[in-house]
Amino acid sequence: MSNQDEQPENRLRKELPEEVPSPPPAAEPERPHAEPERPPAEPQRVSAEPERAPAEGAEGAEPPLTGRQRLVQGVWPPRVTRAQLIVAVLLFGLGFGLAVQVASNSDSDSALRGARQEDLVRILDELDDRTQRLEDEKQGLEKQRQELQSSSDQAAEARRQTAEKEKQLGILAGTVAAQGPGITMTIDDTKGTVKADMLLDAVQELRAAGAEAIQVNGVRVVASTYFTDSGKSVGVDGNKIDQPYRFKVIGKSQDLEPALNIPGGVVQTLEKEQATVTVERVDKIVVDALRQVKQPDYARSSSR
Amino acid sequence: MIAVLGLIVGVVAGLLVRPEVPAVVEPYLPIAVVAALDAVFGGLRAMLDGIFDDKVFVVSFLSNVVVAALIVFLGDKLGVGAQLSTGVVVVLGIRIFSNAAAIRRHVFRA
Repeated sequence: MSNQDEQPENRLRKELPEEVPSPPPAAEPERPHAEPERPPAEPQRVSAEPERAPAEGAEGAEPPLTGRQRLVQGVWPPRVTRAQLIVAVLLFGLGFGLAVQVASNSDSDSALRGARQEDLVRILDELDDRTQRLEDEKQGLEKQRQELQSSSDQAAEARRQTAEKEKQLGILAGTVAAQGPGITMTIDDTKGTVKADMLLDAVQELRAAGAEAIQVNGVRVVASTYFTDSGKSVGVDGNKIDQPYRFKVIGKSQDLEPALNIPGGVVQTLEKEQATVTVERVDKIVVDALRQVKQPDYARSSSR
Repeated sequence: MIAVLGLIVGVVAGLLVRPEVPAVVEPYLPIAVVAALDAVFGGLRAMLDGIFDDKVFVVSFLSNVVVAALIVFLGDKLGVGAQLSTGVVVVLGIRIFSNAAAIRRHVFRA
């Protein structure tokens, strides 16, 4: 680069050998080569332009080596000279560096290596934004999922409660079987003196004492149950039942038994009618007589 | 011929060996390669002009590489590394183009 100031001189020198081809290079081989070889690019080119035409005109007159001929000479035949070897070594270095640089630049992982700082910052910003957006989206989705889960939990809970209520109501309505502790009461009425109202009294007494499920001779007793007299026997909800009347009652037996046995109560009244009443506490009673569910014709639920 | 062979062998060796570029050299390698290319084009042009000299070529090649690396190094130290290396590449590119134009005129006479 220090050759810049020498360019004019250099140009002159270059022009000289062109016009008088052979003598100057032979006479002064070192000097002219020193500079013109490459540093003075700009001026040399400018100088080369006008120069070429006359030079070629001169070439037509006496045949100096043209550039093409020199090139061919240099390439073929191969000569092992000091210059060739040195240049080969340098070019080897150049090729090596070139290949290494190209290889390292085209590595897949180094797509960002060549990027400028601003680009990198921009890319980083974009990534941050994207991360933020995705994070927001993730939070929203998670919230939604939570809501759905909790609502489905609620639905399951509601379903469970409904099922439980259905069971409770089923026991009340007599549509499902029930089991639990309670008592059995057997009324032996060989003389046929027991009437429907006495049985109804017994049922009322049992209900008042907290009976939860009652069946009489295979007929479930529910809210709408009615007792009728029919000759010597009794009808329950239209089903005729014969003595002995067996009550199966689920409830707290400590309450039920005394309630039946109180003075002037059901048992005494029945015994006054010549019937034999047996009350037993049982740990496990199964009330398995069922009633059909009957859709009410007129009554409609007013809730909801 | 030997020189061309050297270039080809160098490229092949670089592609085959694929050495990891040391971090210290990494920023200077591209600029150095461009500078060396400039030197090579200058040398080719000189050869076509019939004024080629190996000693000059060696010196110019090495000094080009060293100066280019030095400029990048200095630019990095001054905090204008990117701009300075861009400038170096532009200058070297102009020189390469002008040398290539001269070579073209020699080879194609146009």
